[in-house]
Amino acid sequence: MRGSMSLVLVRTALRNLVAHKAKTSIVGSIIFFGSFLVVFGTALLDSIDRGMSGSITESLAGHLQIYAKDARDKLQLFGGGFMGGDDFGAIRDFKPVREILEALPEVKAVVPLGLQMVTVMGGNEIDQTLEELRQAVKSGDDDKIHSLAVKLRAMADDLLPDLERRRHIARDKAEIENQLRDLARVRSDAFWAELAKDPERGLTFLEAHVAPLVLDGRFLYFRNVATDLTRFPRLFDRFELVDGQMVPPGEPGILLAKRTYETWVKNPVARDLDKIYQGLTTQNLSIATATELADAARRLPRQYRRISFQLAVEDARTVERELRRLLPESTGDLGALLQDFLRVDDDNAVGRYRFFYDVIAPRLPLYTVPVGSDVILRAVTKTGYFKAAKVKVWGTFRFKGLEDSDLAGASNLIDLLTFRELYGIMTDDKQRELQGIRDAVGVKDVAREDAEAALFGGDARPSSADATPGTLGAIDAVAEIAAAKAPAPAVTFTPEEVDNGLTISAAVILKDPSRLHQGLAAVQRAIDAANLNLQVVDWQTAAGIPGQLVTVMRLVLYLAIFIIFLVALVIINNAMLMAMVERIGEIGTMRAIGAQRSLVMWMFIVEILTLGAIAGTAGALAALAVVSWLGHVGIPAPNDQLQFLFSGPRLYPAAGLENLLLGCASVCLVSLGSTLYPARMATRVQPVVAMQAKE
Amino acid sequence: MLRTALVCSLMASAPGLARAALSDAEMLEVLKTIDVRQRNSGDYKTLVYIEQKERDKSDLLYEAVVYRRDENDQLVILFTKPKAEAGKGYLRIDKSLFLYDPAVGKWERRTERERIGGTSSQRADFDESRLAEEYTPTYVGEEKLGVYTVHHLLLKMKEGADVAYPITHLWVDAATHNVLKRTEMALSGRLMRTVYYPQWNKVWSESKKDSVYYPKEIRVFDEVEKGNRTTVVLREIDLRSLDPNIFTKAWVESRSR
Repeated sequence: MRGSMSLVLVRTALRNLVAHKAKTSIVGSIIFFGSFLVVFGTALLDSIDRGMSGSITESLAGHLQIYAKDARDKLQLFGGGFMGGDDFGAIRDFKPVREILEALPEVKAVVPLGLQMVTVMGGNEIDQTLEELRQAVKSGDDDKIHSLAVKLRAMADDLLPDLERRRHIARDKAEIENQLRDLARVRSDAFWAELAKDPERGLTFLEAHVAPLVLDGRFLYFRNVATDLTRFPRLFDRFELVDGQMVPPGEPGILLAKRTYETWVKNPVARDLDKIYQGLTTQNLSIATATELADAARRLPRQYRRISFQLAVEDARTVERELRRLLPESTGDLGALLQDFLRVDDDNAVGRYRFFYDVIAPRLPLYTVPVGSDVILRAVTKTGYFKAAKVKVWGTFRFKGLEDSDLAGASNLIDLLTFRELYGIMTDDKQRELQGIRDAVGVKDVAREDAEAALFGGDARPSSADATPGTLGAIDAVAEIAAAKAPAPAVTFTPEEVDNGLTISAAVILKDPSRLHQGLAAVQRAIDAANLNLQVVDWQTAAGIPGQLVTVMRLVLYLAIFIIFLVALVIINNAMLMAMVERIGEIGTMRAIGAQRSLVMWMFIVEILTLGAIAGTAGALAALAVVSWLGHVGIPAPNDQLQFLFSGPRLYPAAGLENLLLGCASVCLVSLGSTLYPARMATRVQPVVAMQAKE
Repeated sequence: MLRTALVCSLMASAPGLARAALSDAEMLEVLKTIDVRQRNSGDYKTLVYIEQKERDKSDLLYEAVVYRRDENDQLVILFTKPKAEAGKGYLRIDKSLFLYDPAVGKWERRTERERIGGTSSQRADFDESRLAEEYTPTYVGEEKLGVYTVHHLLLKMKEGADVAYPITHLWVDAATHNVLKRTEMALSGRLMRTVYYPQWNKVWSESKKDSVYYPKEIRVFDEVEKGNRTTVVLREIDLRSLDPNIFTKAWVESRSR
């Protein structure tokens, strides 16, 4: 009986839907669109979430991050004010933390991470040549000295025309005259003869008078993440060595992020040529229309000294000869030829790029700190002192799928002991030493606001007292330094030393990433029980701004869906209300022949549910088709941030059963909600009213 | 001779008495006096203590030996304490300032405004005074600074001068012509540092055959990072001649080795 009634209701619903085509198509379209949006939007966001989760957890963050409970700022591994020196506190001793957390059944591994900003020391091209000259003088390498002298004279020749031009426009002509005299001196044979006799004097003159004539060298900022370089590659799946080799266990070293290496460490001429070549050949851009390429092309000729000052004498001759062959119409010296060569446009850029890499690049130090060389890193320690450390660049690395992402490619990996040296924690010993120095002098602190009263007030001392002369014979800086000097840092270390000491945070890798919340709770319980004074956050929170982006996007999507469904609710409600009014006679008749109120209500509900099922399913299937197609072709990531979110250059979305169910459920719910009022109104129709309306 | 007479007449005027504004020649003479008194015709070596206090940060403390040869505009600042800083050194040759770090065995060119050892003190605080050579003075007025009566001068950088700040206000003790206060400003007029010299000492120089004046204590207040302050104490001073090799990179490197 109930089954036949249901059939009747469905047939009635279908009849009504066909009979009221306009209403059906309007309401159906709304339901179709809503269903499409829910399925497509949530599938897309879930895919982004999965992608970003991979980008973050498999590259740097792990599934959870622990850091000091009393940290002044919230941990932000990929965003926020890290560049400006946020204070994430410190985990003073990593070893017990690792032991306690790795004993948990949920935890696979705990890896220390020390975030640090450093600068790279380095002078301009003349400074670098003078450094070579100093070494050659020290080792008595006459051939090298001669070759470098020729190079330095060529550099002086190249600087001359610029200075001559500046002499005409400069306000302070005397300064330029002095510089011209300095250049003339370097270009003379007499100077080099003097340098042979008194190298220190000659070198000092070159360093103090000639090197400053060239703009300062490139000032590099490195964002380093210190870690256990032996365990990190094994535990972070996306890690991939690109150039060089891994840092040998127990040795200090740095692995540069390939992206940083190519973007900041590379010779600027090569970098701009790379950018133009990539733009023209892979992105179908043109110098004439793409601003970024046009800017690079405009910069190139001005940077010719980045080539000419880097070439050894013999190489400079070869490059000059080859350039004359390539540009027969060009005249002038190597500098002029290079400037002509670097004037690129859409027609010649690809050819110039190839010539550069065939002829010039093999003769240039293409990178400021090439793989295999030592780099000097400088940082301001936590105690406020400047600290420098020399460390070998063992290789470059990247995170698979995130090769072109600046966000993922911004952090280099460095050993923990070098990091700790640059971090410079204040120890009790250091504190005592400083207090000892302070006590020996006995100086009193004076605040700014009281300074004049304290220093020049009533009991001010006479302002020129006689001092005992010549008491400083005892000052022997050499002895002082020898006595005070700290022991040099060790050149190798043991795995225990890596764990025994400070880190900023630690990445926790879970055995089952799908049980993130349970893992977080277990870790929190363990650190609370052991009084470690740490806090634990999930990868999304630890990532900083990128991690929050998906949450924001999800909120925006849900808000959009909510608004759409709200509008749908109103429209469907009105449409059903109109349908009810149109059918008052029919409803009255049904009621008159004995139909119960519930039947009338069910009639409306089944009608809208039928429409919801048909249109909603169609919408969900359409979304599924679009997602499948996009999953096949991929959605390109046009910028760095999206590459990071997409976990690669393209996002390949996929829809799951949960997306379909969510789409269908939400559509049914909205449909049902919008019909309740009209259905309830219909149940109140009295048979007599229907009869009166007929009459 | 004329300069000596002028200085004598200026110094003879008792503090507290009403004085007329200094003429341009008199101001220039005051600046020259300040420069000449601090200059030693020979060499200069001093043991300095530098302490920097910054808000929310650990105090920075140094002890360093400063070597100066004014004749050739040469300067070396060699840090001796604390342990971790021992051996670091600055070398000024003409207008170039270099920093040496023995931990990495490298020299680095630094700018004129280098904060010595990360403190608010600068190269000029340890270097020879060249006020008359680098600035053009304007008389602002006679003022009181605590118990001292002072001449307030406004100094503007001369064209081409190599100075850290283009505008400087100077408060000079009217009685002794010692600089007691100095404020330094950027070209925009923004106040950058206030420096106090509460105590001056003088020592007899055999090479100069006269006294050499030096500030026993320098108090530097950072006006940009409010609350940051640096105290420099010149603990001992030696005016005997120095080995010329001291003012070379090779010497600084060898001391630090």
